[in-house]
Amino acid sequence: MKNVYRRAWLLAVLLMWGFASFAQGKLISGTVTSSDGSAMPGVNVLLKGSVNGTATDANGKYSISVTSDESVLVFSFIGHASQEVVVGSRAVVDVKMEEDVSQLGEVVVTALGIEREAKSLSYAQQTVSGSTLTEARDINILNSLSGRAAGVDIKKSSSGPGGSTKIVLRGNKSMSGDSQPLFVIDGIPMANNKGTQPGMWGGVDGGDGMSQINPDDIESMTVLRGSNAAALYGSQGANGVVVITTKKGKEGAAKVEFSSGVTFESVLKKPDLQFKYGAVGGAKESWSTTPGNYASNYVDDYFKTGSNFINSLAISGGSAKTTVYFSYGNVSASGISPHNTYNRNNVTFKQSTKLLNDKLTIRSSVMLSAEVSKNRMPSGYYLNPLTGLYMFPRERNFQDFKDNFQVFSEARNMDVQNWFVVDHHQSNPYWIVNREPRKDNTSRVIASLDLDYAINKDLSFSVRGNYDYADKTFDQRHSASSNSTNINPNGSWDYKKYNDKLIYTDAILKYNKKAGDFDFNIIAGGSYQKTDYGNGIAIDASAENGLLYPNEFFFQNLMPIVQVKSTQSSALIKEALFANATIGYKERLFLDIAGRNDWASSLAGTGNDSYFYPSVGLTGIISEMVALPTVISFAKVRASYTSVANEMPYNRINPGNTISAGGGVVRNTIRPFPDAKPEMLKSFELGANMRFLDDNIGFDVTYYNINSKDQFIKLPAPSGSGYTFYYVNAGEIVNKGIEVTVDATPVHTGNFTWKTAVNFSKNNNKVVETTPELKDPITTGESEGYYSRFQAGGSINDIYVYKYQRDTQGRIILGPDGKPLKTALVEYAGNLNPDWIAGWSNTLSYGNFGLTFMVNGKFGGKAFSQTESMLDGAGVSQRTADARDAGGVFINAVQNDVAVSKVDAETWFRAIGDRNGIGEAYVYDRTSVRLTQLALSYRFPIPSGKALKAATFSIVGQNLWLIYLKAPFDPELAMSTDQNSQSLDNFNLPATRTYGFNFKVTF
Amino acid sequence: MRKISYTLTLLALTLGACTDNFKETNRNPYEITDESLKQDFNHVGAFYPSMLDNIFQDQIADNLVHESFVRHLGTPTPFVSGRNNTTYYITWGDSYWNGVYNNIMAPARQVIAIAEADNYDVFVAWAKLIRIIGASRLSAYHGPIIYTNYGSTEQTIKYDTEETLYNTWFTELDEILATFNANKTYPGLTKFDASYGGDVTKWIKVANSWRLILAMRLSKVKPDLAKTQGEKAIAEPGGLIKTDADAWYLSLYGGPFKPARICFGWGDTRMDAAMESVLVGYEDPRIEKFFDPATDESLYPDHPDFPYKGIRSGALLVAKDDRLTYSTIDASMQNYTKRRMLMPADILFTLAEASLRDWAGAGTAKDNYEAGVKASFTEWGAGGVDNYLSNDTGLPVNYNDPKASGDINDFVNRMTVTVKWDEAADKEVKLDKIMTQKWISSVHNTVEIWVDHRRTGYPKLPYNYKNDSDATWGIIAPNDFLRRMPFINSERNNNPAGVADATTKLGGPDEIGTRLWWDTGGPNF
Repeated sequence: MKNVYRRAWLLAVLLMWGFASFAQGKLISGTVTSSDGSAMPGVNVLLKGSVNGTATDANGKYSISVTSDESVLVFSFIGHASQEVVVGSRAVVDVKMEEDVSQLGEVVVTALGIEREAKSLSYAQQTVSGSTLTEARDINILNSLSGRAAGVDIKKSSSGPGGSTKIVLRGNKSMSGDSQPLFVIDGIPMANNKGTQPGMWGGVDGGDGMSQINPDDIESMTVLRGSNAAALYGSQGANGVVVITTKKGKEGAAKVEFSSGVTFESVLKKPDLQFKYGAVGGAKESWSTTPGNYASNYVDDYFKTGSNFINSLAISGGSAKTTVYFSYGNVSASGISPHNTYNRNNVTFKQSTKLLNDKLTIRSSVMLSAEVSKNRMPSGYYLNPLTGLYMFPRERNFQDFKDNFQVFSEARNMDVQNWFVVDHHQSNPYWIVNREPRKDNTSRVIASLDLDYAINKDLSFSVRGNYDYADKTFDQRHSASSNSTNINPNGSWDYKKYNDKLIYTDAILKYNKKAGDFDFNIIAGGSYQKTDYGNGIAIDASAENGLLYPNEFFFQNLMPIVQVKSTQSSALIKEALFANATIGYKERLFLDIAGRNDWASSLAGTGNDSYFYPSVGLTGIISEMVALPTVISFAKVRASYTSVANEMPYNRINPGNTISAGGGVVRNTIRPFPDAKPEMLKSFELGANMRFLDDNIGFDVTYYNINSKDQFIKLPAPSGSGYTFYYVNAGEIVNKGIEVTVDATPVHTGNFTWKTAVNFSKNNNKVVETTPELKDPITTGESEGYYSRFQAGGSINDIYVYKYQRDTQGRIILGPDGKPLKTALVEYAGNLNPDWIAGWSNTLSYGNFGLTFMVNGKFGGKAFSQTESMLDGAGVSQRTADARDAGGVFINAVQNDVAVSKVDAETWFRAIGDRNGIGEAYVYDRTSVRLTQLALSYRFPIPSGKALKAATFSIVGQNLWLIYLKAPFDPELAMSTDQNSQSLDNFNLPATRTYGFNFKVTF
Repeated sequence: MRKISYTLTLLALTLGACTDNFKETNRNPYEITDESLKQDFNHVGAFYPSMLDNIFQDQIADNLVHESFVRHLGTPTPFVSGRNNTTYYITWGDSYWNGVYNNIMAPARQVIAIAEADNYDVFVAWAKLIRIIGASRLSAYHGPIIYTNYGSTEQTIKYDTEETLYNTWFTELDEILATFNANKTYPGLTKFDASYGGDVTKWIKVANSWRLILAMRLSKVKPDLAKTQGEKAIAEPGGLIKTDADAWYLSLYGGPFKPARICFGWGDTRMDAAMESVLVGYEDPRIEKFFDPATDESLYPDHPDFPYKGIRSGALLVAKDDRLTYSTIDASMQNYTKRRMLMPADILFTLAEASLRDWAGAGTAKDNYEAGVKASFTEWGAGGVDNYLSNDTGLPVNYNDPKASGDINDFVNRMTVTVKWDEAADKEVKLDKIMTQKWISSVHNTVEIWVDHRRTGYPKLPYNYKNDSDATWGIIAPNDFLRRMPFINSERNNNPAGVADATTKLGGPDEIGTRLWWDTGGPNF
C-alpha cells in the first residue's frame, strides 16, 4: 500500500507541473466549431506576435485579451488548418475550423482513445482508413491489413470464412505466448480470445474475436507496432496495439450509406495430383506402373465456387447536442467446400449527448454480432475430408463413393459409412461433410458508456465502462460408423459452449495547457479490467467417449465415461494507475514521459503482483528548427525507450487437483511457483520521417531493438524430483528490425492522380538464452517429419527435419534395399518466419474512375508440406507419375560405393514420403509474391441538390494472382494461428482467390 | 488541486483494497482443492483410483513393448517405416517410465505425506504398496531406477542399484504388512477401493503375493535372499492369492480396456504368431476365450479346425491392411470393466517354481502346476481341463505367414514340452512346462512373464524375423531377445550424471542387450 500512496503522490506532482495562466487588455470571446458544426474543445488560440494564448473549453468557447482592433488571433488544432483572423471591432469572434487533409497535420488515435498529432509521436505508427480496408470486401477486416503497414505479419486461417487471423508485430517476443497484439476499439481493450487451433493430427480453427466486427463500422485502424502503448494499456499492449476507431454520428442532416456487394471465391492453389496410375491388388496406395484411363475430375468437382454476399446500411446524423449512428451489416457466405457456410449479422448503435451547458458529454455504444459457421474445414490427418479425397486409389470409382457415401447395414439396421478402406487417416469425404456436421455459433455484445466532464477549460475528467461478452458454441456431431480411431461406434459428440467476458473501466484526468512556448498535455488515471475466458462446458469426442444410442446428440445420451466438463481457460484481474505527460516546445520538440503500475491477479501470493514500468520518448521536428533546403518540406527524428512488465498466465502459481472421468482425483504434480515474477520487455526505437517536394514524396524509417527477459517457461521436472513439471523465469529473446515506409504522388495533374506507397520490414529474432536447466529444445509443434523448435542461439520457429544421409561428395547414400537413408536425428533446415516483408499499394484516379492495386511479398523463410509427403508416399502426386513416366527418379546417389543415378519411383517416394519420410524433401522456400488486391471503381456524377449524394460502383478482387511461389501450397494460409505449427501444410484447405463487385450509395 | 490529489488517493485506495480477491481469481474453480476434499475425508483416498489406474498403460508403454517382446500380441502396423520397438530399434522408450513417475510416484509422494500428517496409517501403507508395484514393474523395464532418492532437490539425482531396490521393497513390505495386520477391520478404504471394497485382508494377500513375485525374480542372482523372502511370503498367516475370490482385478474406472481399443478402435494389434503356435499345438480350449477367429478363411489352411491366425512380432511388414483380417482379441473384451492384475494361476505357477527350488511350504510342483492350469481354465470359463492336462503328445506348431512370400516371417517351433506333467523329467523340463503354462495364462498382464522369460529362457519363444538393432540402442544377436529398455532420453539430457552413475550400477552399457541384475544368464538350477 505504501507504494501506492507514493505513486499517487508522484502522479499528482506530474499534474501540477506547468499550471499557469496569462491575461491582459480588451476581451474577445467566441466559439470554435468544426466543419460539421460541433463545438471544438482544446483549440489553441494565440495572439499573433505575442506569447499570450488560451484554448477553447469543452463547449468550444474561449476568451482572450487583445491589444487593438488590428490584433490577429491564430486558431490552431491538430489535424486542422490553422486560421488567422483579424479581430476588428468585434467582441465576439466565432471560427469554423477546417480539417487539414495533408498528412503532416494527421491526427492519430493513440492509446486510450486519445487523439494526438502524428508529428508529435516519439514512436512508429501507421493508420489505414476504413474505406481502404473495406475496398476488397474481405469479410474479416484484419485480413485486409496485410501489406498496408510495415512491421505487420498477417496470416489468415486456412479454415475458410469466419476463421481466425494470426498477426504478429515485430516478431515473436515470448517463448510461451503467441505474441499477439492487443486490439482496442475506441480506446477500450476488446476481448480477442482465440479458440482452439488445429495441428498435425487434426482439429478445426476455433475463430477469434476480430471476425465478429462489422468492417463497415470502422473509420480507421492504427497500428502501434512498438510497446509504447503499453504504458497506457499495460502489458497486454506489449506486443503492440491495433487501435480501431469506429464511425460516429455527426451533426447535420441525416446521412444514409448503403453498400451491397458480392464476391466469388475459387481455388487458387491446390496440390498437383496424378490420375494416370492406380493401385495394385486393392492397395490404398496408387503404385501401379501401368497407366490407366481413370476419372480425373472428382477432386476439382469437390471444390465449388464460393460466394460472399455483403450488405450494410448506416444511418447517422444529429443536432448540436446529440449525434447518433446506427448500422446494420449482413454477410452471407458459402465456402469452396461442400456445405460450408458462414453467416453474420451486425447491429451497431452509438449516440453522444451533451448536458449541463455542454460541460458533460455522455457517449454510449452497443455493438451486436451474431455469427454462424457451418462445416468450417479442419486441417491435419484426422477426420479431414481432404485426406480421403486426395489419396483415393485412382483405379477405383470415386463417383460411386460420392453417390453412396452411406450404405444400409443389415447388421446395424442403419446407414453406415461407405469407404474402401479402414484407415485412421481416411474417411469418405462426403460422409464427413454430411454425417459429421459441424456448427459454430458466436453471439456477442460490446456495450460501453463514456462520461466526459469538463471541469474547466484546461482540465477534464472522464469515466468509462465497457462490457464485452461473447457466447460461443462449437458443436460437431459424428454419426455412428465414422472413423473408429477417433469416434465411438455409436457416434460421438464434440461440444463446447462457453462465454468470454471482458469488463473494463477507467477514470482519467486530462489536462491540456498552452503556456508560452510550451504545450502541456497530461493525463493520469486508473483502470480496472477483468477478463473471464472460456467459462462454460465441454465434452470431447473420442473412440471411448460415445453415445448410448446411435446418432442422438444430447446429454442424456452420453455414455457414463464421457466427462461433462466445466471449463475456464483464463480469469484475470488487472488494476493499474498510470500517467503520461507530453510537453511540447514551440511545436518542434516533444518530450513524452509515461509511467504505469500494474497489479495482476495471476501473480497473487508471489509478492510480485505489483510492478511499475516507465517509458520516455523524444521527438524533434528538424524542419522547424533549422532552415533546410526548400526541397525538404518536413523532417522529424524520434527516439523512445519503453519497458513493459508482462504478467504470467492464470492459475500457474499453485494449480489444483483435477477430477478424472473415472471419478478419482488426479493430484496436481506441477511444482508450485511461489516466487514467480513478471516477464520484462525493454524496447528501444529510433526513427526518422522526411518529406520532400511539397509533400509529394516522403519516407519513414524505424529501427527497433526489443529485449524480452525473465520469460515464463514450463519445464519437465527431472523424474526423480517428485514433480512432473515446473516453471521458471528465465531466458532472453531479442528482436531487432527495421521498418521503412515510402509514399509518393508521382503524378498529380488535373484529372489524373497516382499515389503509391511501399511498406518494408525486416525482423531478426534471436533466442539469446533459454535456461541452463533446459537441455532439450522448446517445441512449438512437432510430428514425424516436422519439428518446429528452438534453443539458445536459434530463433523461434526454427525448423528441424530428417535429411538425406550424404557422403563426402554430397551423394545421397542408399541402403541395402536401395532406399535413401535418413539422418539419425533431425537437423536444422531454416526458420519458418520470412526474412522480410513488403507491400506495395497504388491508388490511381482519373476523373470519376479509380483504380487501386496492391502487391504483397514475403521473402525468405521456410515452409513445410506434410501433404506433399503423404501424397508422394501414396503415389498420387503428379511428381510420382512423372517419375514413373521417366522410368524412375534420377538422383546423384551411392550404394556400397557404387554410384547410382536412378531409383525406382515407388522405392524412392515410399522412402522419402509418407508419414515418416525424409523431411528435407518437403521443406520449401516460403517466398511468395502476389497481387493481393485490385479494385476498379466508378463514381457516378451526381448533380448537387439531389437527395442522392454519391454513388460508386466497383469491381474488386483479392489474392488474384500468385506472381511468384516456390512452395506447392500457399504458406500465407495458416493451419494454426497461434504459435504452433507455423508454415505447416497438412491437408489444409487450398488457397482461394475472390472477385466480385460492390455498389455503394450515400444519401 | 486538493480535489485531484483526493480523487487519486481515493482511487489508489480502492485499487489497493481490490487485490484481496486476486488469489481466488487466480484459481481454476473447476479444479478441486485439498481443503474441499477434506469434506467426507476424501483428501487422502480420492487420489488412489488414478494411481491404481496407471499400473497398466497404453499402446507405446505396454502393447508395443512387452506385449510384443513376450509374443502375446503382434502389430500389423509397420510403425515408423517398419523400424520400431518391435524390431528392436527403440522408438518409444519413455512412456512407461513417465507414466509411473508422473502418475504413481509423484502423487504417491504427496498422498503419503498428507496421510502421514493426519495419521492415516493404512492409507500410507496402501500408497506404499501401490508404489512398490509400480516401481518394481518399471525396474523390470530399465533395471536401476530412482526410488530411495525420489523427491531429492539435488541437481543430480542418483538411481538405486537393483539390489538396493529389492532390499528396500522387502523392508517396506514388512512395514506395510505390519500396518495392515494391525488394522484388518479398518473400514476407511471402502469408498476408494474398487478392487476389494476396502477389505484390508485382501490387500494383505496382495502384499504377500507381491513379496513372493519379487523373491522369485531374485532366485538366480540371490538364491538365499530369494528363498528367505519367498518362504516368508508363503508362511505369512495372511496368505497368498490362491482362489478366485481373492483374485486382484483393477477397475477400468469406466474407461476402455486399452488392448481392446488398440485392437478394434485403431486396428493396431492382433493375436501373436507364438500364441497361434502354442494354443493350436496344445489344442487349448482357452483360445476362443482369448481371441476371435481370423476373418479370412484362406489364412489357416494348416489347421482349419482352429480358425485362428497370428502376426509374428518383429515381422517384416509392408502395409497395415495386409494383416487386419488376422485374429483379433476376443471382441467381448471391449465390454471389460476391470482387468486382471494378480490371478491365482500367477501365484500357483510361481509356487510351482518355488517347489522346484525347494522353498519350504511351497508344496509339490505337480500339484501347483496342475492347480495353476485349472485355476486359469476356471478363470476363463474354459472346459476340458482334465483332457488338456493329460495331453502328452501335442506340441506347438510351426508358423506360416500367408501374407508374406516364401519363408518371410515364418518360424519353426522351438518348444519341446507337452502339457502333461512328468514327475520323472528333470528340473529344466519341469520349469519349461511351468513357464509355458504361466506364459499362456498371463494374457493381458505380461510384465512378469517378460521377467520370467529373460530370467529362465522359457518358454522358447520365436526370435525376431526383422531385427533392426544397431549401435544406437545396442545390438541383439539373431538368436537372442531384447534384455531391457534403455534409460529415457529426458533423463539422459536432464540428469546426465545420474544416468552415468546408473549405468555403472547397471553393470553394462545403457543398451537393450545388457542383462538386468536378476537376468544372470547362468543355469536355472
